[in-house]
Amino acid sequence: MRHNGGSAYLTLVRLRDPTVLGRGRTAMKSSLPAQNRVRWLAAMLARLLPFVPALVCSADEAPRPAPPAAAPLHELVDQQIGAALASKGIAPAARAGDAEFLRRVYLDLTGSIPTLGEAKAFLDDKSPIKRQQLVDRLLNSPEYARQMQRVFDVVLMERRPAQHVGQAPWEEYLRNAFAANKPWDALVREILAADGADPNLRPAARFYLDRGGEPNLLARDVGRLFLGRDMQCAQCHDHPLVATYLQTDYYGLLAFFNRSFLFTPKTEPKAVVFAEKAEGDVAFKSVFVANATDQPARPHLPGEKEADEPQFEKGQEYAVAPADDVRPIPKYSRRSQLPVVLPRGENVAFRRNIANRLWALMMGRGLVHPLDMQHDANPPSHPALLDLLGERFAVMGFDIKAFLRELALSETYQRSSELPPGVEALAAEAFAVAPLKPLSAEQLGLAALQATGITDVYRASLGPTLNEATLHEKVAANLPGFVGVFAGQAGQPEQDFQSTLEQTLFMANGGVLRSWIAPQAGNLVDRLNRVTEPAAVAEQLYLCVLSRLPTAEEAAEFTACLQARAQDRPAAIQEWIWALLASDEFRFNH
Amino acid sequence: MSEEQPTASPPPVPDPTQVRQVKEFKHDRPLFACRIDRTGRYIFTGAEDNLVVRWEIDSDNKVALAGHESWVRAMAFQPAGELLATGDYAGKLCAWRWADGATTPIYQIPAHQGWLRAASASPDGATFATCGNDRFVRLHSAADGKLLRELPGHESHVYNVAFHPSGGQLASCDLKGVVKHWDLSSGTVVRQLDGSLLWKYDSGFHADIGGARGMAFSPDGTWLACAGVTEVSNAFAGIGNAVVALFDWATGERKQVLRPKDNFQGVAWSVAFHPAGFIIAVAGGQHGGALWFFTPAEPNPFFTFKLPAGARDLALHPDGFRLAIAHADGVLRLYDMSPKVTPPPAAAPATTAS
Amino acid sequence: MERYLTCGAPEHCLSRRSLLAGMLGAGAGLTHVAGLSHFIQPALAADLAAQQKRVLIFFMAGGLSQLESWDPKPNTDTGGPFRAIPTSVPGTHICELLPFTAQQMHRLCLVRGVNTAEDDHGKGAVFMETGRRDSPAQRYPALGSVVSRLVAPPTSALPGYVHIQPGGGGVNKADAAFLGPKFASITIGNGQPPANLLRPGDLTPAADQQRNDVRLKANQRFTARRRTAETEAYGASYDQARQLVERADVFDVTKESAQDQERYGSHDFGRHCLLARRLLEQGLTCVKVTHTNYDSHSENFDFHIEQLGEFDRPFATLIDDLAQRGMLDSTLVIVMSEFGRTPKINHLFGRDHWSKAWSVMLAGCGLQKGAVIGKTNENGTAVVDREVDARHLFHTYLRAVGTDGTANYPGLNRPIPIGDPAGEAIEELLA
Repeated sequence: MRHNGGSAYLTLVRLRDPTVLGRGRTAMKSSLPAQNRVRWLAAMLARLLPFVPALVCSADEAPRPAPPAAAPLHELVDQQIGAALASKGIAPAARAGDAEFLRRVYLDLTGSIPTLGEAKAFLDDKSPIKRQQLVDRLLNSPEYARQMQRVFDVVLMERRPAQHVGQAPWEEYLRNAFAANKPWDALVREILAADGADPNLRPAARFYLDRGGEPNLLARDVGRLFLGRDMQCAQCHDHPLVATYLQTDYYGLLAFFNRSFLFTPKTEPKAVVFAEKAEGDVAFKSVFVANATDQPARPHLPGEKEADEPQFEKGQEYAVAPADDVRPIPKYSRRSQLPVVLPRGENVAFRRNIANRLWALMMGRGLVHPLDMQHDANPPSHPALLDLLGERFAVMGFDIKAFLRELALSETYQRSSELPPGVEALAAEAFAVAPLKPLSAEQLGLAALQATGITDVYRASLGPTLNEATLHEKVAANLPGFVGVFAGQAGQPEQDFQSTLEQTLFMANGGVLRSWIAPQAGNLVDRLNRVTEPAAVAEQLYLCVLSRLPTAEEAAEFTACLQARAQDRPAAIQEWIWALLASDEFRFNH
Repeated sequence: MSEEQPTASPPPVPDPTQVRQVKEFKHDRPLFACRIDRTGRYIFTGAEDNLVVRWEIDSDNKVALAGHESWVRAMAFQPAGELLATGDYAGKLCAWRWADGATTPIYQIPAHQGWLRAASASPDGATFATCGNDRFVRLHSAADGKLLRELPGHESHVYNVAFHPSGGQLASCDLKGVVKHWDLSSGTVVRQLDGSLLWKYDSGFHADIGGARGMAFSPDGTWLACAGVTEVSNAFAGIGNAVVALFDWATGERKQVLRPKDNFQGVAWSVAFHPAGFIIAVAGGQHGGALWFFTPAEPNPFFTFKLPAGARDLALHPDGFRLAIAHADGVLRLYDMSPKVTPPPAAAPATTAS
Repeated sequence: MERYLTCGAPEHCLSRRSLLAGMLGAGAGLTHVAGLSHFIQPALAADLAAQQKRVLIFFMAGGLSQLESWDPKPNTDTGGPFRAIPTSVPGTHICELLPFTAQQMHRLCLVRGVNTAEDDHGKGAVFMETGRRDSPAQRYPALGSVVSRLVAPPTSALPGYVHIQPGGGGVNKADAAFLGPKFASITIGNGQPPANLLRPGDLTPAADQQRNDVRLKANQRFTARRRTAETEAYGASYDQARQLVERADVFDVTKESAQDQERYGSHDFGRHCLLARRLLEQGLTCVKVTHTNYDSHSENFDFHIEQLGEFDRPFATLIDDLAQRGMLDSTLVIVMSEFGRTPKINHLFGRDHWSKAWSVMLAGCGLQKGAVIGKTNENGTAVVDREVDARHLFHTYLRAVGTDGTANYPGLNRPIPIGDPAGEAIEELLA
């Protein structure tokens, strides 16, 4: 289901009017400087009504440059980031080399590193638009859908164990959504509307069902993951420091869920669905206020008004009345209002949240960081840019692929991770240098499988049946070891990078990695053992593991080592493979 | 616990299928042990307090005997004598002149480190055997409590002890179901019987559960019965099945595993041989108590009587008709097995015990 | 409100240079950063032993009966069959099942007025270990992870929080919650060292050294113009792992003297206590020893004989050893459970879950020696004096190890108070 463009436009205009906002909160007002508002309208209209921009310009009496909507989004990104850098006198890092870009974009868009052949082909390609071509190719690959499936599985479920919906159908659901490039608002609407009863959409109900339908958990996670606001500390009181973190807003979210519960049919105990009652109200009082009285809260999004609700006479509240082993169905469902009001282009928090999350996926950190701490006291590093991204993403119809493409094509994304000469440090939030993004557990495992040539062995074994799905099946069987050790704790947001003793011992002494770098027909060490010329060995080694050619210095060191260790050449090669796998360069997407 | 067999004669002809409650004696704590004196006048009980209580069956007269420092589970009468030996969970052995109503023991001795779990009197009345958590079996002079002999060798808590009717032999059983046959002239172990079906190490809880909670020889000495719990699936929730292991004393072989068909969940706390040849056992568990009547020939009871609360001990009245059962609800109940109207033909097979 | 844009984790503050300086100072080889760890420098050990605070938690899984341990009520309707015995503190009695512990009572303190109002195993454990009531929307880190984060020396090669238990090993990431897996407990299952600690047989130390040299050289090049807190942390974890691999015997209790092994006993729990002593002596910050199991819904008394019979002597020996070695003043010892057990004895001789009135034992780190705080009524069914719950205890633990539980966690990207703001430390226990 998609929004009708015209009605979306009207709603947006109405929302821009502070009188319509009613209780207009600081966050809403400050997020809408006049200039942006106009730019947004222009962008909106440029897309929807090609003949309108002139009208908008003429309607705006202030003299202004040509409508920025004409420029592609990636140029606007670079303009805004660049302007901020210029204003601070910061010189950004140079453009990333081809190899650096290659590895980065492969990891970001497919979750692994390129094969030897892919790396060579790209590095040898002389086309001036080869980066754009690569981005387009990767975005349209089945690997992209699977990578986004992995990313959004972690975003949405935070590695919770599967309980009522299997991991496999959930992954398939997500993968299909990204393969079809389902718009983000539609995906979220489906997830928030799912109750598990429709077999076709049962996987979408995992968000609710595998959180046990727990109202507080759902209120918190809907706030965090779809609105970018962790309202946890508003559970007991208004946030002492943040004016827009109000207890009433937490309970407003909670009120969408407090009547809901998991219903287990006696005859089919596995067919648990998310049901709802017609009664049950939410009331709260601050723990900071002595003798506070309970305040009722009806469902509403943070900062918005409570909606009127239909009233029914006692005994008339249900379409299907509660009874033993009967799932009740209320005439008015509070929960089903959520997919109506939340995933909308007009919802500023909704669109900013996803724009910020996709930005962080590519750029290593959010414009608002942490991603779920969007509030007045934690302003974005680039407020206008975040507004722009949210608005443009909404106008693009929440087209994730198109949005990621714009980010990938930006110079901001394509900077080197090396500091410019003479610069000792650059603040991460300036986006002046590419960040070192730690590989996720899955990225690390997949990249190691590719680097060591294990994935190549599978490719060869599949012969004519080779495709993304068959290869994935083989490769995925190797991942649990890596994921178990490198993944974060279930139910916790992804954390800042930590390297644990368990992980390092796994890398250093673990049997999994050791088996991959032990010779077997067709894997990297096996192939290198059969190459005699040391320079050629070095080239293949560095291309396979680090997706780049060795520097002259590196090649010389490697050659010297092989010459010195003619007696145990295979062991020496294995040691080098391990060293590169264990290196910082491999551990991070740089 | 060992069961002192009544010496009344001629053998009565009770009908277990007509068993019925005839009297209640209420204590203010859950009961733990019971014995009836050889004249049939008194029932003595131990409970979850430090008292031994003498109940006069006909008058309801109740006398509390003080002297113990913990719960009393062990009780043994001299078969023909004046003394009742009682033992507590502080390891103390007391002897009482049961008939005169004196409320202080004639002697009290520290008999064991930790719990004294069971006591048995020799057929000649000269010796009390006791056992406990210190893994010892000890023989005491019945007259003054003096330690006569220590029988070391068990490797876990000794749960029960019983004199063989012949007098020169003793059986003891520990937590792990190891049954030792002692020769009392030499103080040595003659052989070990395998009662390990009464024991389980619950690896989930890292703990042992087992032991012979009740133990008795048949009056003619041919059978040894050990009551307890088997097939424990959850030691800490008390989920296991009440059972009585029946050994042929001559060969030491386990001949029968007595248990109800419905696998009563709980513990068989006491077992007794009726002179008429049948075996009586009581149990308590999650869902109340049960009283069973078996013959040695059949694994399942020929009659089951549901008890109003978990049963923890059983004593036969010398009249051969009545039996007393100590219950977890603090009530001592007296039951009667005498035929109500006309004696049924051969209510219980009496062949095996003859 | 400040913007939480920097990671304040201690390892991020540590510069590579200081690592190298420490390494050279210790006169170690090029790639050995021996100076990082105090546990291989005996000369420093005594000093650090005096300064560094440690925590030793005994978790009596299933719910230790307070009536069969710290708060006996002999000869009452709820008291059970055991007697109370005098202790080394005149006037203080504990259950006869703890005769060795009774002789250490002058070094211990009892909190007898615990009312946690949580009778579920999982939720009770969460409350007791995290000092916060279990909440579906927010899990808080366990005490061991908290001290691993706040008290453990950031440069130690040893993990900050080790959990010794029967059964399997592994890493319990849930313990650390939002502090991250670096502060999770590493479980030593049945004395087995952490996974992959031992170098594989086909990897010689020389080959390990060579490959590591190549790794370091590659990192040097890569980080020349890319050094970040993350690369520092990653590199440091390899240094830590390499050091620990060289000293894998830290986890090997059989390296303790035969005499000590005899003193602690030949059963698992005895060995676990001796391993705990070994780890604490080597400078590990938090050791949790799980003793299982106490969930005696039936035959409570038999099972407490068995379990406390195993617990008493090694526990008392460990307390005595810590005191003799001067470590008790800097080591907080806690004996806790999910909850206590019902005063009422059920018809299976069991006791069920009971959180309304039970006891926790504490010792060390300057806590009042021999103190008894709080009181229950005559038959133990209710707290009648100085009622506390897990929040008060948690604040007390933190204060004992020199941390203020009313502060927010440092280095997090959101403000989270370390202890539950609804609780406060038990002041009279603190010296």
